[in-house]
Amino acid sequence: MEREVLLEVKDLEVTFGERKKKFQAVKKVNFKIYKGETFGLVGESGSGKTTIGRAIMRIVPSAGGEILYKGDKINGTISPVLDQKVIKEIQMIFQDPQASLNERAKVDYIISEGLLNIEKGIREADRKARVEQALLDVGLLPEFSSRFPHEFSGGQRQRIGIARALIMNPEFIIADEPISALDVSIRAQVLNLLSDMQKKRQITYLFIAHDLSVMRFITDRIAVIHKGRIVEMAETEELITHAIHPYTRALLSAIPMPDPRHEREKKLLVYEPEMHDYSVDTPDWVEMRPDHFVLANQKEVGEWKNG
Amino acid sequence: MKQFSYRHTKEAELMDSVEAASKNASSMSEDELFSFAEFNAEDVERTGYSNYSYWRSTFQAFLKNKGAVALLVLLGLLLLFTFIQPYLPGQYDPNMIVNDANGMQYRNVPPGDMFLLGTNSIGQDLWARIWAGTRTSLFIGLSVAVAEALIGITVGVIWGYVRKADFILTEVYNIIDNIPNTIILILISYILKPGVKTLIFAMCLTGWIQMARFIRNQILIIRDRDYNVASRCLGTPTWRIMMKNLLPYLVSVIMLRMALTIPAAIGNEVFITYIGLGLPVDIPSLGNLINEGRALITSPALRYQLVYPTIILSFVTISFYIIGNAFSDAADPKNHV
Amino acid sequence: MPDKNIPEKMLTVEDLEIKFELRGKTLNAIRGISLDLYKGEILAIVGESGSGKSVFTKSFMGLLDQNGKVTAGKVMYYGADDGMPMELTALKREKEWYKIRGHEIAMIMQDPMTSLNPLKTIGVQIMEAVLLHQNLTRAEAKEKTLKYLEDVGISHPERRFYQYPHEFSGGMRQRVVIAIAIACAPQILICDEPTTALDVTIQAQILDLLKALRHKYKLSIILITHDLGVVANIADRVAVMYAGDIVEIGTSEDIFYDPRHPYTWALLSSLPQVGVKGTDLFSIPGTPPNLFSEIKGDAFAPRNSRALKIDFLETPPYFQVSPTHKAKTWLLDPRAPKVEPPPVVEKIRNGGLM
Repeated sequence: MEREVLLEVKDLEVTFGERKKKFQAVKKVNFKIYKGETFGLVGESGSGKTTIGRAIMRIVPSAGGEILYKGDKINGTISPVLDQKVIKEIQMIFQDPQASLNERAKVDYIISEGLLNIEKGIREADRKARVEQALLDVGLLPEFSSRFPHEFSGGQRQRIGIARALIMNPEFIIADEPISALDVSIRAQVLNLLSDMQKKRQITYLFIAHDLSVMRFITDRIAVIHKGRIVEMAETEELITHAIHPYTRALLSAIPMPDPRHEREKKLLVYEPEMHDYSVDTPDWVEMRPDHFVLANQKEVGEWKNG
Repeated sequence: MKQFSYRHTKEAELMDSVEAASKNASSMSEDELFSFAEFNAEDVERTGYSNYSYWRSTFQAFLKNKGAVALLVLLGLLLLFTFIQPYLPGQYDPNMIVNDANGMQYRNVPPGDMFLLGTNSIGQDLWARIWAGTRTSLFIGLSVAVAEALIGITVGVIWGYVRKADFILTEVYNIIDNIPNTIILILISYILKPGVKTLIFAMCLTGWIQMARFIRNQILIIRDRDYNVASRCLGTPTWRIMMKNLLPYLVSVIMLRMALTIPAAIGNEVFITYIGLGLPVDIPSLGNLINEGRALITSPALRYQLVYPTIILSFVTISFYIIGNAFSDAADPKNHV
Repeated sequence: MPDKNIPEKMLTVEDLEIKFELRGKTLNAIRGISLDLYKGEILAIVGESGSGKSVFTKSFMGLLDQNGKVTAGKVMYYGADDGMPMELTALKREKEWYKIRGHEIAMIMQDPMTSLNPLKTIGVQIMEAVLLHQNLTRAEAKEKTLKYLEDVGISHPERRFYQYPHEFSGGMRQRVVIAIAIACAPQILICDEPTTALDVTIQAQILDLLKALRHKYKLSIILITHDLGVVANIADRVAVMYAGDIVEIGTSEDIFYDPRHPYTWALLSSLPQVGVKGTDLFSIPGTPPNLFSEIKGDAFAPRNSRALKIDFLETPPYFQVSPTHKAKTWLLDPRAPKVEPPPVVEKIRNGGLM
């Protein structure tokens, strides 16, 4: 059965700066996200993963390629009708709960900000009811709507940010490192909330993070991105247990496990970008195992196939 | 299902300590103490609450600065008095030339019973003139501050937030900034009829650009913070982002600048009057009072005509300056400890 | 002759209490902690934000904010050159602290960018530390600086010596910060979340570096972190902090394979590494307690679904689990009902994580 593609990214390129100081953050990136799945994009700082998320949200302009949402091209200039559709159906959750909420506005306004933009004639009573429902949905109390963000802890603020996204009834949510800035014990709360929401509302997620252990828990498929290029993509368990690209393997070996014996005995794999010689033998996107793609040139395909 | 055993001595020991520890527990048996307590998940959510209020803390921090508070009170009283003064009994009109029984003007009368602060060289009551002058100068100062703020903020916010406007406005700024303020002040005062409105106009013309620049810099700092990016993602129109996301952050810095603009404007007025382009003599202001008094600085008997206006001017200027700075310090969250 | 089998103590903390004056109210940041640091060990202090872990170690170097004070207890340092124990909490003036900071106890912090002076070359910054704390000529100091750069894994040290912090990546900058710290030739190195801001691959390298330097320079290291994975990698002993108190302390094996305090269980359970896809991750409800008010009983009780009634009334004492391991929970009292640790503990013990 053919799965419905919700978002497709084709040959996406994003560059910053002009003329001499041009920096290519994203270099010809391709991937598809199917309806209802959680797609993970993992990479380290500077890899371009956040830029991809922002390009899909149209905060950052693309320099080349296409982003297709339900078949419509949404990068570049688009019609006001499509613009409204995108604003409603694609939402973003931000990394830093301290910076992502307007300190001078009440929680009430913060959560319903999107509603006021999209449903311009909404009645006050309706709006209040929806804000209260949104708060309950994320596990907060309705009485919080009259308070200011600084009165809440990091985890609660992040949940307010999620409520802000959920009140719009989105179909697609881009979560940009939603738990990196939270305390360890609070992360679980937010992760549970996100997966609950997915089950209840069939939301599709693009989950951006640098932590593979979190990815393993929450995503269905993962793409690994390094310096603006996707180097490996597969279903989560497949990627973690049969990682092929040396960068992915280095990432996996570096994850700290809460098991002293394991940590003492493990050997750290180090990734050296210089190991690739792409001057003559250019790399291709190769399906090296069923539904498991790797960026490799001919030589590497031969080497890596045998583990 | 409880599984525990204990020795008799230990039991007694523990019972004692438990009993002594809290009175609540005295009603509970040991079994109960070691049984599971009720767990209320909802109550737990409430524990993250802190009741820090930015403005309340700013207010409290300001109150700690006794000097500034004292000055604020005195300044407030002064302001009040400038309004009340004309309605008090026995006040002279500031422009009226007071004649004695023989029709002679009471010129240069030193401070005494009849004239509290004396008269000036043409027979006008100095006390009335000083208060009238203070009224005028304060009016000018406040008007300039408010007008400058309104224009400066509007331009500054657009300059900082709307990327396309940045280039043009920066060029405009560079041009205007290079023209010395004093020349503009002098030119305007010379071209237009001297009066309060002219002065306010001239000072606004030179002052708004600095306020705009300052606001623009502040906007640049907060423009791309996540919460503004979030608002853009949600489709919030630019004007609402300015009103609800940006301006509230700038309130304290705006108030500081306004507090410092007032003494600057009063000072400018004094300067313009000094060079002869200020208000006409029939509109008393601190500027022309000081100007008139300046000529008499060499004669000790008449020096009072300079001293009193100067005292008031100094007091007003220094007070605004100190209060403005104290407020700025209080508004800084780092000092809310 | 000191007995080699009995570990030497470098630092002891006895019933330390630290309070802060905040907006007219008193914050009880540290509520009576006792702790020993042994020579050559790596002791990890694990806790979340608000647990007081940073405040705790800042008091060893006299770096508490103006409004903070040690109100009870003391910290004793045994590593001074002359062999005399020093009471660190008795030091009052900045001048007295100069002998301790750097030369005896050095600290590295989370953000390498703000720890380094952007206007000076890194070579100069390391040399400054050398010249300040070691009696050497400029030429000798430069030699040493180059050696330190090599020790921390910076290649081409002669060239890098003249570069500025902005020319280094995050991980390299943290290495420079570590170089400055060891250039002071300290006895104790306090690392406050040294790898939190770094990518996971760089983090692993920095942790390896710290382990190597501990042996080479005979350091005793206190590592502050919220990441249990980091702790498992590097720590010999672990102290778990919650709301200004140490609730459990033991060797790394004790804490990971036989944890006893409900908070430790909760921390371990909520790790994504132990989660099972498709089921909810265990999460600790609520937030840490308000330290402005007096805490009655066990601070973790309100968030513990398996709390006993006595947890709300009386603070538990330490119960000794083994000679190396103790925990502050009424569950260890013989009269308490038997509570099984969550399944995750069994999973970790049997190596079933990967």
